Amino acid sequence: MTGDIVEAAKFIGAGLSMIGALGGGVGIGLSVQGALEGMARNPDAYGTLLTNMILGIAFSEAIAIYCLVIAFLMLFVL
Amino acid sequence: MEKTRKWRYGINRWIILLLLIALVVIMVFVPRIQPHIQVAPENVSHGPLFSLPVLGDFYLTNTLVAMVLMDIILLGIGYAVYRTIKKGDLVPHGLAGAMEALLEVIYNLTESSAGKWARKIFPYFATISLMVVVSNLMEMLPGVDSIGVLEESPHGNPLWVMIPGFMAAVVQGSAEHLGEGYVVVPYVRVLSTDLNFTAALAVVSVAMTQVIGFQAQGWRYLIKFFNFTTLISKPVFGLIDLLVGLLEIISEFSKVLSFTFRLFGNIFAGSVLLFLLGSMLPFLQSGMMLFEFFIGMIQAVVFGMLTMIFMSQATHGHGAEEHHE
Repeated sequence: MTGDIVEAAKFIGAGLSMIGALGGGVGIGLSVQGALEGMARNPDAYGTLLTNMILGIAFSEAIAIYCLVIAFLMLFVL
Repeated sequence: MEKTRKWRYGINRWIILLLLIALVVIMVFVPRIQPHIQVAPENVSHGPLFSLPVLGDFYLTNTLVAMVLMDIILLGIGYAVYRTIKKGDLVPHGLAGAMEALLEVIYNLTESSAGKWARKIFPYFATISLMVVVSNLMEMLPGVDSIGVLEESPHGNPLWVMIPGFMAAVVQGSAEHLGEGYVVVPYVRVLSTDLNFTAALAVVSVAMTQVIGFQAQGWRYLIKFFNFTTLISKPVFGLIDLLVGLLEIISEFSKVLSFTFRLFGNIFAGSVLLFLLGSMLPFLQSGMMLFEFFIGMIQAVVFGMLTMIFMSQATHGHGAEEHHE
């Protein structure tokens, strides 16, 4: 009985921790929006904007990945 | 050598199409199993390699094997480039040319942000990027994460023996008795899915940032952390500066954490995704491989570039702005 409750709590906790991926999604959306506006205004800056956009996406994605790490730790380690 | 390459309908595409069809056929007839996922690296050797009195036993883990492989690959590339350059051609061809182009891009990036300290910072950027990119792209090699020794496990799957005593595969089904279930412990596991590797790399990166800061500014580098300079002249804002400097100490430690978990999380999440897709929808796995290829390279560049940016920030003095006022 207690084992089942712990098992269920693991899954619930893993699901709850993934709420944090929301922030990563918003961040990626904002950075792509900014880069696309810049590209539309100044198409010559396409290359540098694309590189910096991908770098920024990688950083905001890392925040979502932290949540994923916590979820994995709950599922497979605890 | 000025030969325009014509696009021909070659035989390669038919081989790829055949492989895709074979994949679908195998997918239908051979039942898939869900692999056992573990965060800590598995031990390949049964007994400990050696023991130290305080630290305990040392095992041969599968990420250690991957690290030796990575070192061999990098040293091989280095030796091949050395051989090509020793021949004395002004224009390097092949691998040496590719490495020269890559390192030139990295050097220009470093120089644009670090200025005269580029020669000092460039080796860290290049070494970290090359190490991480080789260890991440090892995920693409066939056999990595799938060929290994069999180990008994309570939640394992039954065996299908191909050659008795030599080769066997784990197949779908549940083991009825204890000692019949097996899991595969791979010989080689992607190096970046080991927290020890990413943490060690992060500690090296942040520690060398401090060393470069001291080399650039001498003892004035400590003003960044213990800012007593404005405490007397501007009492209130000086106190705030002091507290901000103390927060910088915490931020150095959080750099280690964020370096560690960014690389580990991206690559481990990618490999778990590949495992689960492989057990559910195998034909989508090849598409996901392409995405993981991209992620692996991006994370290598991000790790190196962040190191470079932190190092070039450490060379800029904190007190320099106050002389302008």
